[in-house]
Amino acid sequence: MSKEAPLSIAEREFILEALRQDSRLDGRTPDQFRPLKISFGDEYGHVNLELGNTSIIVRISAEVTKPRDERPFDGLFNINLELSAMGSPAWENGRPNDVESSVTHVLDSVIRHSNALDTESLCILKGVSCWSIRADVHVVAYDGNLTDAACIAVMTGLQHFRRPDAVVRDGQVVVYGVEERVPVALNITHKPLSVTFFAFNESKNIIVDATLKEEQASEGELVIGINNGGEMCFMNKFSGATINAREIVTRTSVALEKVKDLNAQIDRAMQADLALRAKRGMAEESRAENDR
Amino acid sequence: MVGPTASLSNLSRADGSASFKCPTTGYKILGSVNAPVELPGRRDALKPEEATVEVFIKPGNTTAGVGERYVEGIIRTMLQKLILGRERGFPRRGVVITLAIVGGGAIARGDSYLTLLPSLLHTSLLALLSGAVPMSMTYSTALVAVSKSNVIISNPTLVEAKAASSLHVLAFSSKGHLLLNESQGRFDFDTWKTVQQCAHALCRGVDLPEVDGDIAMEAQGDSGTAEGFVRETVENHLYRDYAWKIDTE
Amino acid sequence: MVTSAAAPAPSSRPALSLPPSQFARLQPHAYLLAHLSPPSTNNQPSIRANGRAPTQFRVTSANAGSLTHTNGSAVVRIGDTAAVCGVRAELLHTEDIASWSVSQATSSNKSPRSVDQTEELGEQDDNETIERERAHIEDLNLLVPNLSLSTGCAPGFIPGSAPSSLAQSLSHQILSLLHSTRLVRADDLRIWYQPPSMGPEELERHNEEEQMDVDTAQNDPVEESPREIKAFWVLYIDIMIISLAGNAFDAAWAAVLAALRDTKLPKAWWDVDNETVVCSDSISDARKLSLRGLPVASSFAVFEADAAAGWRAVVIPEAAEMKAQRLARKGGVSERWLLADPDGYEEGLTQERACVVVDKDTDGKVIILEMEKNGGWTIDTEDLQQLVDLSSQRWEDMKRILDEC
Repeated sequence: MSKEAPLSIAEREFILEALRQDSRLDGRTPDQFRPLKISFGDEYGHVNLELGNTSIIVRISAEVTKPRDERPFDGLFNINLELSAMGSPAWENGRPNDVESSVTHVLDSVIRHSNALDTESLCILKGVSCWSIRADVHVVAYDGNLTDAACIAVMTGLQHFRRPDAVVRDGQVVVYGVEERVPVALNITHKPLSVTFFAFNESKNIIVDATLKEEQASEGELVIGINNGGEMCFMNKFSGATINAREIVTRTSVALEKVKDLNAQIDRAMQADLALRAKRGMAEESRAENDR
Repeated sequence: MVGPTASLSNLSRADGSASFKCPTTGYKILGSVNAPVELPGRRDALKPEEATVEVFIKPGNTTAGVGERYVEGIIRTMLQKLILGRERGFPRRGVVITLAIVGGGAIARGDSYLTLLPSLLHTSLLALLSGAVPMSMTYSTALVAVSKSNVIISNPTLVEAKAASSLHVLAFSSKGHLLLNESQGRFDFDTWKTVQQCAHALCRGVDLPEVDGDIAMEAQGDSGTAEGFVRETVENHLYRDYAWKIDTE
Repeated sequence: MVTSAAAPAPSSRPALSLPPSQFARLQPHAYLLAHLSPPSTNNQPSIRANGRAPTQFRVTSANAGSLTHTNGSAVVRIGDTAAVCGVRAELLHTEDIASWSVSQATSSNKSPRSVDQTEELGEQDDNETIERERAHIEDLNLLVPNLSLSTGCAPGFIPGSAPSSLAQSLSHQILSLLHSTRLVRADDLRIWYQPPSMGPEELERHNEEEQMDVDTAQNDPVEESPREIKAFWVLYIDIMIISLAGNAFDAAWAAVLAALRDTKLPKAWWDVDNETVVCSDSISDARKLSLRGLPVASSFAVFEADAAAGWRAVVIPEAAEMKAQRLARKGGVSERWLLADPDGYEEGLTQERACVVVDKDTDGKVIILEMEKNGGWTIDTEDLQQLVDLSSQRWEDMKRILDEC
């Protein structure tokens, strides 16, 4: 299989007719996201994210490398997304497809090019060594709205990740292990997320967070990347039917509202996890003291 | 000692899936199986009489390189022989196994893959079972290291494996055949024989003199061995799946 | 595996008179089986379709130093499989290594730089030296093997395609064997510099110290400024299989081994004034690599008589049962054959493979460096023992061939 099984005519008609009557298959309102579940792995920067049935794992890693010659003060940051047959049988292993390139493009624009991660803070020693941060996105199950889910997961991962502390001591870079010094959080300048809208019925119905079936039935797509402060960092009207310009303005405010809500959810999950870690750390410390 | 943990069928889109966590090496693998599927991109490689087995390994935080291709080859050769690829619906199609390393450290270029191999093999088996792919037998695998002082360490940690003078991965079928052996390092044949016995005990328990088929099975005890672990995982899953039926009976 | 039910008999002529070459193509499995199990009436030994005895390797030849623009090269032919290997050494300055100036504060000081004066020589392989060797050769990637299956080396290798997964996994196998056998000594690849903080007479002695015996280093703890590594040699080992007729790994590994034995590195030192590494262009200054041992690889395949086992849903007997059957049948017709050094035709008919890499120490004791077995369930412990014995015989042959080249 190299294509998702297409929707049947009856399914398509059903989805469109339901939207005309302002209802969706799963009973959500047009501007409602599916339930978002964020959990963390043992390591820092390991995020398991579930948005409805779409499921993503993100791992952030850091290593010391040589900075680029033309930018000696900058560290490196890369987002890596490779779709495998795990996420959907329609994706073939080792063969890039359209979804992969379009999602990578949005992730790069929203997170990397908007400088959400301050790359200058990754510099250790000018022109000699810097941190290279790598985000690996594993799509584990695909049920629509990959773009927003991946954005949320990568941003959560970046906020959760702690890199080892490093100092320069007479020309020699010393990297401290996690046991020796408290690892350092990354410097996040702002928290942009993307919100993808899908248009139906000649743009009369515009919804957020479409499932795979809704995506297949849609006629047009609009992606807005925006941060908590209401600053736009990305906008793309990918393909399909026309959308009224005024509609885009109103959608922008919907997107802002959604991003604020999603960021609040990320914060809550982060705080809960950090509290848990602190508690576990305390327990371990007291155990170590008891041993002594 | 803490045993490995695993769960079955945890992905929604794949035909079969499993996750497996090895406590000693810290690796966590997520595996999925799609079978039988059409492989239009591989039309030239498809075989008219049997299924094509494809294995794909996705490292957690690096890009796949030559090492992954090599391990994929090992797993593919082993599974090709076990999967009944001539069953109805399988010829000219593919059995696609995708394994993602979602926890644990990265393996650098040219490093030994042996520490990871047992986890990958167990994940593939559980995923194949979860996807109901017909197989002639199941298997279990073990990692054994021999230290510099000639001490045999079963289930070594990564540090022990790195310091070891030789490292061995063995896989035994559910019928006792030696399916796979990968040994690296410096050793002689007598050492290997001891390693083989140790691995056999880890996988299938100690062989008791066979009095009667059933009793011998009972006495071996499933718990603790790698084979018993696979069996328990699948049984637990089945009990959960058929709870509605079992309750009514 | 081609196993059609019946051989298409020529309808015009009732007499079945296919030339052997056609029979071999139409019924490859039956053809090889017929060779291996001759009728019991005539007392012929079983022989393979290519005329070899089951445990016989193909004629092997090696030729070193065939390429002029490399530091070392070799061509190895095993039957119709031919591999060319060229070793090229390039300099890697330590300031170009990102991890060079980084040290891990945890536990043992793991900076690559932390190797200093006490340098090992000879066979005293304590844990520390091994760890240092590993750190340099493996972490800094000083050995870079790359294998390519050239266009037309066998039918099916078309120009312009990406490296096949076979080529990639062979590259990895060679790299991991180079690492695990520790064939190349890290010290051969290091370029040292001794800051001139000492008097002239000490400088002279410094030359001896290049040879470095631990004793002298211990006897006089001189307060000299520490020697430091300024650069490394990186060995690019390129292997090209120009003709592939089965058993690519043995040929490729033998070519790597022969080429490394042939490799000479020019004398190189750090020039303080120009802040660069300078190499001597006189050949007499160049020195050979001192390799650890002579690991020789031998591959085997298992040919099974019952080709139908693959497609019939057979009940596979328990391992113990299988062994009993085999013992009972001993002396009679065996149901599977271990074939040494399989050629392309045989590789197409077999699935189970084994590969053993052995070396012998000075006392002639066999050391196994790698043992692999995969793709089936017929090889058991006794068979592996037999394969190790065969491989150690093969080691003698290969040693002779490599010493002569």
